[in-house]
Amino acid sequence: MSRKKYSVAIRDVIAEEMRSDPSVFVMGEDIGALGGVFGCTRDLQKEFGKNRVRDTPIAEAGYVGTGIGAALTGMRPILDFMYLDFVYVAMDQLLNQAAKLRYMYGGRATLPLVVRGQQGIGRGNAGTHSQSVEAFFTHIPGFKVAMPSTASDAAGLLRTAIRDNNPVMFIEHKALYASSEEVPDDPNFAIPFGKAAVRRQGKDVTIIATSLMVGRALEAAEALSKEGIEAEVIDPRTLLPLDLDTMLKSIEKTGRAVVVHEAHKNNGVGAEIASQIMEAGFKFLDAPVVRLGAKACTLPFSLVLENAVVPGVDDIHEAAKQVCYK
Amino acid sequence: MDKQTILQVYETMLTIRKFEEKALHLFEENKLRGSVHLSIGQEAVAAVVGAYLRDKDYITSTHRGHGHAIAKGARPDKAMAELMGRETGYCGGRGGSMHIADVEKGNLGANAIVGGGIPHANGAALSAQLRGTDQVAVSFFGDGAANEGIFHETLNIASIWKLPVIFICENNQYGMTTAVDSVTSVKDIAVRAAGYDMPGEVVDGNDVFAMEKAVKKAIKRAQDGEGPTLIEAKTYRWKGHWTGDPEVYRTRDEVEEWKTKCPIKRLEKHMQDKKILSLEQIEATHTKIDKLIDEAEEFALSSPDPDPATVLDNVYYEGDK
Amino acid sequence: MATKVNMPKQGLQMTEGTIISWLAAEGEQVKEGYPLYEMETDKLTIEISAPASGTLLKIIRGEGDVVPITETIAIIGEQGEDISGLLAEIQSSGTGDNSEETAPAESQKAGVGDKTAAASEAAAAGEPKAEGLGTGTTAGSPAGKGPFYSSPRARWKAEEYGIDITTLSGTGPEGMVVERDVQAAAQNRPKATPLAQQSAAESGIDLSGVEGSGPRGKIYRKDVEAAHRAVSGTAAAGTAARSYREDRLVPLTGMRKTISARMRESLDTAAQAVHRIDVDMSETVRMRESLKAAEVKVSYNDIILKAVSLSLQAYPRMNSRLTDDGILELGAVNIGVAVALDEGLIVPVLRDVDLLSLKAIHDETRRLADRARTGELTQEEYTGGSFSVSNLGMYELDSFTAIINRPESGILAVGAIKDKPAAVKGELQIRPICGLSLTYDHRIIDGAPAADFLLSVKQLLENPYLLV
Repeated sequence: MSRKKYSVAIRDVIAEEMRSDPSVFVMGEDIGALGGVFGCTRDLQKEFGKNRVRDTPIAEAGYVGTGIGAALTGMRPILDFMYLDFVYVAMDQLLNQAAKLRYMYGGRATLPLVVRGQQGIGRGNAGTHSQSVEAFFTHIPGFKVAMPSTASDAAGLLRTAIRDNNPVMFIEHKALYASSEEVPDDPNFAIPFGKAAVRRQGKDVTIIATSLMVGRALEAAEALSKEGIEAEVIDPRTLLPLDLDTMLKSIEKTGRAVVVHEAHKNNGVGAEIASQIMEAGFKFLDAPVVRLGAKACTLPFSLVLENAVVPGVDDIHEAAKQVCYK
Repeated sequence: MDKQTILQVYETMLTIRKFEEKALHLFEENKLRGSVHLSIGQEAVAAVVGAYLRDKDYITSTHRGHGHAIAKGARPDKAMAELMGRETGYCGGRGGSMHIADVEKGNLGANAIVGGGIPHANGAALSAQLRGTDQVAVSFFGDGAANEGIFHETLNIASIWKLPVIFICENNQYGMTTAVDSVTSVKDIAVRAAGYDMPGEVVDGNDVFAMEKAVKKAIKRAQDGEGPTLIEAKTYRWKGHWTGDPEVYRTRDEVEEWKTKCPIKRLEKHMQDKKILSLEQIEATHTKIDKLIDEAEEFALSSPDPDPATVLDNVYYEGDK
Repeated sequence: MATKVNMPKQGLQMTEGTIISWLAAEGEQVKEGYPLYEMETDKLTIEISAPASGTLLKIIRGEGDVVPITETIAIIGEQGEDISGLLAEIQSSGTGDNSEETAPAESQKAGVGDKTAAASEAAAAGEPKAEGLGTGTTAGSPAGKGPFYSSPRARWKAEEYGIDITTLSGTGPEGMVVERDVQAAAQNRPKATPLAQQSAAESGIDLSGVEGSGPRGKIYRKDVEAAHRAVSGTAAAGTAARSYREDRLVPLTGMRKTISARMRESLDTAAQAVHRIDVDMSETVRMRESLKAAEVKVSYNDIILKAVSLSLQAYPRMNSRLTDDGILELGAVNIGVAVALDEGLIVPVLRDVDLLSLKAIHDETRRLADRARTGELTQEEYTGGSFSVSNLGMYELDSFTAIINRPESGILAVGAIKDKPAAVKGELQIRPICGLSLTYDHRIIDGAPAADFLLSVKQLLENPYLLV
């Protein structure tokens, strides 16, 4: 085990996979000499050269499409997005092409492709550099979607993503890059997709949280504990596939669930999770599943306003009490 | 072009022509559904490119892609079955006319989003470059796609990375119903190559020998590591954009004028003039291809529909790497 | 302000109810919608919920009291509240009032009891079709105040704990019953020692009606045995437990009282005459054995019911009742089947028996008997009979005489099937013989046709293949 920052854990896994598999390469904006705005590709170009750590023009659709062609023909590209907000520029290539080609070609094409980058609040970047994009990629069938909330998960999930033969949207969080924890040194350390992590045990209410919200949920759980409410905190880790079983098992015990994500609440992944819980676990529920997510407005620049839009510890705390009828 | 290649190109063009005439007939008889975009009149471009590419080379294609697929080695029977949405079709009935792909044969697929497939050829070329092979990739697209942003992004990337890719714009004069000159900043799309520091060449797309010259040169350049080429093949689609197009945007005279430039007729005349094939041999070739296409029809019509129980297959690759 | 707890009218013709037990003591906190006392109508014991929350200030009528409806039996109010005026008022009036405020809460259970009470009275009055009024409107609404809501989880847990969720009042939003309400109810249920639970199971005693003598009402085996003595009051139960040869007065309440009245009424009204006959059950035994071998479960009683039903069809006079307008021969053959309970007798009714297969008769009889034992019978299930069968075969009786279950006109008493010597074609053989005894109302049917009917039953049982 080595203590690593989330960003370093990602960088190290990319390096390890590139060493062991020559078909893995990275493309993206400002990833070479700079090593990425957040350091996730730092020094990789020094080791692997400009061919395999390839700075692209600012042409997201162009390099995603190029990555698709490479993936179709035997390569395993990692497409680096400086900000995942920019996926919208490449949406046709991502959702009409990468997501669909295998299916439309009757299974006669394979796309081992990782699209990775960071999203979310925390840097005062306003509406086009602070949003959360996961819902788009869980809606159109074809992508797998991972959202690590810790350094170790980032490492284990990214290795699984790179070794997966499907397009994977790998969603990191800018505010988590500096967080650190012990990460296994095993160059084959991988966390399978579709296995949620129970971050905290509790018997009274289940809080399902993704990415940055996992930490906030754990904070809220500590506060709730002081009031006699023991919250179980579940981090799905991948949204597609989604580990409904672990969530249901928890809700069978607690009878109550709060789903919290940073993305907009309206038509968000939380709605999907809440519905799946309701469809499969209706009888377990003592209260309606409550969703927490960003308010339905563009992420504002002002820190005060940003905090007003995205769920905070207090919001999670309140929602948990609400479903406990307290 | 040697005699054998001429015969190959001829048979390919004839196969494309008769395949599409059959598709049109079947559509009119309500035996196949969906959009069927015909490239009748444009066969020379696909046929010549197909003749000079090897199995291991790549192409990407468009919604008007039957010709590209056949030229890259697709079997008319499996292609026809796909047009009918049958289990035996190239995509098992999941893709239809606009998505025929045969990745193992280097056909990375037709693409129903205008311009959508252009960067995939770039990627295949990058893949060849990274793997150190002499493979080349050809992207077919139309005059309409040349106004998509992705065209420009892709050409720029191909140029800076000197990718072994050949961009072949089939300028058939209309983007659906819109005349190319009314929506395009330049008279010849080929001149846009200059903006990306690559050769751009205008070619008579109905002349197999003009195409031969341009394609050979582009392949050599790609394999020599000098990078991409843009070829604009001027041609014309005889049929409407889709089956049932009222064709209000052009005159009958214009269509008839282009029919006189039929690439197949031109090659037949050349072969007779040069004593490559006699009239009898040409007729015999027609009969042979007619039979091939009739068999394709028969195969498709007798093939089963896909099993609805398999509708969720292949959304994802299952299993390990 | 104090609330009077009044004896609730639970059915159209109910005039009084018996208080079985108070579930709270004076001075204890009670909660609106939660069970406050148990009372007995003439068929069933039901729990009645408190009409208000507060302190149970005064219990006016004690356990065992038979109280006319609307009379005040207790007062709920605030701790230390002065209720002397109220008590004086009650004393002087002798009855409670019917105001909305003091009307007793009706629980779902009360709703069932409602039907029961009305129906048994209706049956006694010879009107099996009479509907219990006032039911349904409060069904599913514990406090009788609008719709009843519960969370899916509360329903799941209630089912798991065997708690009738509709008896609970909710503390969730808009009074929704949520999990904690079920958990509270589960915890408030009487705690009993394992021995007490075993004893209760053996003697068929519902623990919720047993008063525990242990700390916080914990029930010991001796409490269960005391409860059992109280309900059975029989010598069998008594001799074991009673150490002195003392007399004991058992109050005539509920079901006993009804049976008593109805038997008297039957003998006072109908001209009851009896025919007796022996039936050779050889073929019936054989048929049952072969059915058994084919894994078809059918009892002798099922076969007898089928034979009776077909005979009733053939002799409609046996399937009739006397009305003011004349003799009403009933179209449907609905046979009452007497089921003995610890506290008395109840006669659920099998409908259209002549149309049922033996298998269906078997299943339906079992279902009704089970429901009778658990006190779940609805009015429809024990009224509307046209004839009755009482089988005491398990008691080794050769035969016995039954009293007609009015307003029916006949009842067949079935004795035990015993191996007995019989003359068969001039030879003495041992045959399984069953003694049938038909009691009929001579006012409407004479001896000869009654004999024809009984003979028909005998012939069918001796040739049971005709039953098909």
